[in-house]
Amino acid sequence: MKIAILGSGYVGLVVGTCFADTGNRTTCVDVDEAKINRLRRGEVPIYEPGLEELIQRNVAEGRLFFTTDLAATIRGAQVVFIAVGTPGDEDGSADLTHVLSVAETIGANMNDHKVVVLKSTVPVGTNHKVRDRIAAHTKQSFDVVSNPEFLKEGAAIDDFTKPDRVVVGCESAHARKVMEELYAPFLRTGKPLLVMDPASAEMTKYAANAMLATRISFMNEMARICEAVGADVNQVRKGIGTDVRIGFPFLFAGVGYGGSCFPKDVRALVSLAKEHGYTPHIVPAVEKVNEEQKRLLYQKVKQHFGDLAGRHFAVWGLAFKPKTDDMREAPSVALIEALLAAGATVTAFDPEANREAQRLLGDRVRFADNALAACDGADALVLVTEWSAFRHLDLDEIKARLKQRVLFDGRNIWDGERVRSQGFTYYGIGVR
Amino acid sequence: MKIAVVGTGYVGLVTGSCLSDVGMDVTCVDVDVKKIANLNKGVLPIYEPGLEDIVERNTKAGRLKFTSSLDQAVKGAEAAFIAVGTPPGEDGSADLRYVLAVAKEIGEKMTDYLVVITKSTVPVGTADKVRRELQAALQARGSKLTFDVASNPEFLKEGAAIEDFQKPDRIVCGVESERAQDVLARLYKPFTLNGHPVYFMDVKSAEMTKYAANAMLATKISFMNDIANLCELLGADVNQVRKGIGSDPRIGNRFIYPGIGYGGSCFPKDVKALVRTGHEYGYELRILQSVEAVNESQKHVLFNKVKAHFGDLKGRHFAMWGLSFKPETNDMREAPALVICEQLKAAGATVTAYDPVAMPECKHMIGDQIAYAPDAYAALTGADALLLVTEWREFRVPDWDRIRAALKQPVVFDGRNIYSGPELREMGFTYSGIGVK
Repeated sequence: MKIAILGSGYVGLVVGTCFADTGNRTTCVDVDEAKINRLRRGEVPIYEPGLEELIQRNVAEGRLFFTTDLAATIRGAQVVFIAVGTPGDEDGSADLTHVLSVAETIGANMNDHKVVVLKSTVPVGTNHKVRDRIAAHTKQSFDVVSNPEFLKEGAAIDDFTKPDRVVVGCESAHARKVMEELYAPFLRTGKPLLVMDPASAEMTKYAANAMLATRISFMNEMARICEAVGADVNQVRKGIGTDVRIGFPFLFAGVGYGGSCFPKDVRALVSLAKEHGYTPHIVPAVEKVNEEQKRLLYQKVKQHFGDLAGRHFAVWGLAFKPKTDDMREAPSVALIEALLAAGATVTAFDPEANREAQRLLGDRVRFADNALAACDGADALVLVTEWSAFRHLDLDEIKARLKQRVLFDGRNIWDGERVRSQGFTYYGIGVR
Repeated sequence: MKIAVVGTGYVGLVTGSCLSDVGMDVTCVDVDVKKIANLNKGVLPIYEPGLEDIVERNTKAGRLKFTSSLDQAVKGAEAAFIAVGTPPGEDGSADLRYVLAVAKEIGEKMTDYLVVITKSTVPVGTADKVRRELQAALQARGSKLTFDVASNPEFLKEGAAIEDFQKPDRIVCGVESERAQDVLARLYKPFTLNGHPVYFMDVKSAEMTKYAANAMLATKISFMNDIANLCELLGADVNQVRKGIGSDPRIGNRFIYPGIGYGGSCFPKDVKALVRTGHEYGYELRILQSVEAVNESQKHVLFNKVKAHFGDLKGRHFAMWGLSFKPETNDMREAPALVICEQLKAAGATVTAYDPVAMPECKHMIGDQIAYAPDAYAALTGADALLLVTEWREFRVPDWDRIRAALKQPVVFDGRNIYSGPELREMGFTYSGIGVK
């Protein structure tokens, strides 16, 4: 099939590349000419394991194209994916400016029947808005499908090519057939393609992220109560995770969720509900707990050291989670800002996100070339992101480099007992 | 292995009889002499599938005894389970009077080293209190006997308790000594041969695990109810959304069914108790408070729908299917049905209800506030609408022609989303579910 992908950000690139890889002639469009030029040269603007080589292969084999020519790409496609950004507004609602303006362009270039697929995460009701915008510019028949993405940064290729499920919100048999055909290569292991009405499909995306965020905040709340009563949240996690009605995934206490999805989608859900006169209870509580949780590490540092003026700290991990360089809403930023505001200095290291962090934090933070170097002369080591390279601690080396043997473990990846036996003071999140 | 089980309620009986069934020598104790007399005659105070057989078999074999003398039970026992009730006080905190009284008496009567295990759901820190009671009692009689306390929360579902005990997802044991760990490991070995794990942890974490598990399950329910209410306003269908998110293995498809709120003897009590524990330590449990708030308002949703449909309810009559808080039990504690009946009555409407097993219990609680029908269809006669409140299996595929003929108006309010709106509408019914189309 001939596919157009409008928007060459994270989602657009993964989706476009994977569809090209199953033999579709796929063209990715972006308004950013520099970005398109880089992509043509095989340079990928984001870090995502496996993506670069997949792009290069499909470009080389003549199935994957990059262009800034929106109109021509739309005219040449049977299926048009909308994968442009929907940044969160001040009030938390998703900004649909890009989506709707692209819809108008699609309408203006509807030279034959097309299936338009909404891939961006958009509020419930957007499907109909897009349909109206397109219809205002054309008499040609078309379909609008809501097909939310469930990609995890760091595992996006796998998530797309081996999905747990594909959610398709559509109202026409033709669109359904097209979607089934497109996704068939990825569903050979029998995972379902769930067809539903567009509003439910749109809602599914928000509900999924909200539920995952709820699991995280729930465990963070448990971690705090565990700390208060002297229980160990890691033990509690094992105790409840074995209940098949609960399950193990997403039960890790930590310093809060971040990234480009959970915070944005949780807020969008709240704002969507309020627009329709409903006051949700759970999700606002989830967000509130998360905001508090992001400050927890700082509070622990503060409590241990008292006055932080003139103190120096090593921070391991900056990205909001491992295997990405994404710093959006990262708990590390909250921690570092608070430390700096209290008069402390910071040397940080992240295997991938140093550059991105530098862009955000500038010269106020020093960046080390490796994890151990970040520890030199620091009063304590603070772990924020659980990169696998941080999991095993060379305690002798760290002892030699740190000024004081103090560890703050924002992800509970170290064994408190072991590091204490080596003379360290250890702080985790709700663990003993 | 000789075991004492103190308290012959639901948890005590299941625990004692299942342990005797694998060959242990179990004595169950209760202060209620009449209850013990009944048990000795084979009369059980509760209904639980399969329990009666096990009790009878093991009583006959001489492995399971019932007595009102704690003396006799703890004499020579290696482990004593405390499985007495912990009714919630006014403020939601668990009343530990019975637990601590038993601890004291064990201290007075024990004859050897003993592991004293709290099986009742008790707040974090209770094992410490139990230990102090035991110590004081031993000291009072100048005894040098040693003991350990342990926490071993139960994860039994009413209606499936025997299976839950015999084939547990996991066994959680909070222990503080290797000796106690060894006793509990031997005790549970027969139930872990299939690879079900026993998690040994510190006592407080074990106590916390019970609350956290129920709190998480309650959270999943309230989350889905919140989403269902929103779906309704947005024109989405929560059943579709449920399938969409349940297929994510990080979420799973269990316990994400919206409805008219959770009830029963565990979730409401445990959520409230945990919120209270938080307050005691100066911490606001925001999520759990919101979980409770959603649940309270969810119990009103069905009434609100009825009210929105009919307007003035004065003189209206409604049929209610299901009363117990969930199917396969007669438990009416905190059942949404109670709230709905109350609201309908206050609005001047009358109710005729049918429940396969919970009608006597309901009558016991609210008396003749509502009428009771001998069967499901008899409840419908002359009613303005059918309200499905508890999703008993026998309600799942009813005879819609009979329903239409019996009702004054073909209107169905489905509090558990067990019927298909489109199908019912096709048949001429007015249908309203929870967040579904």
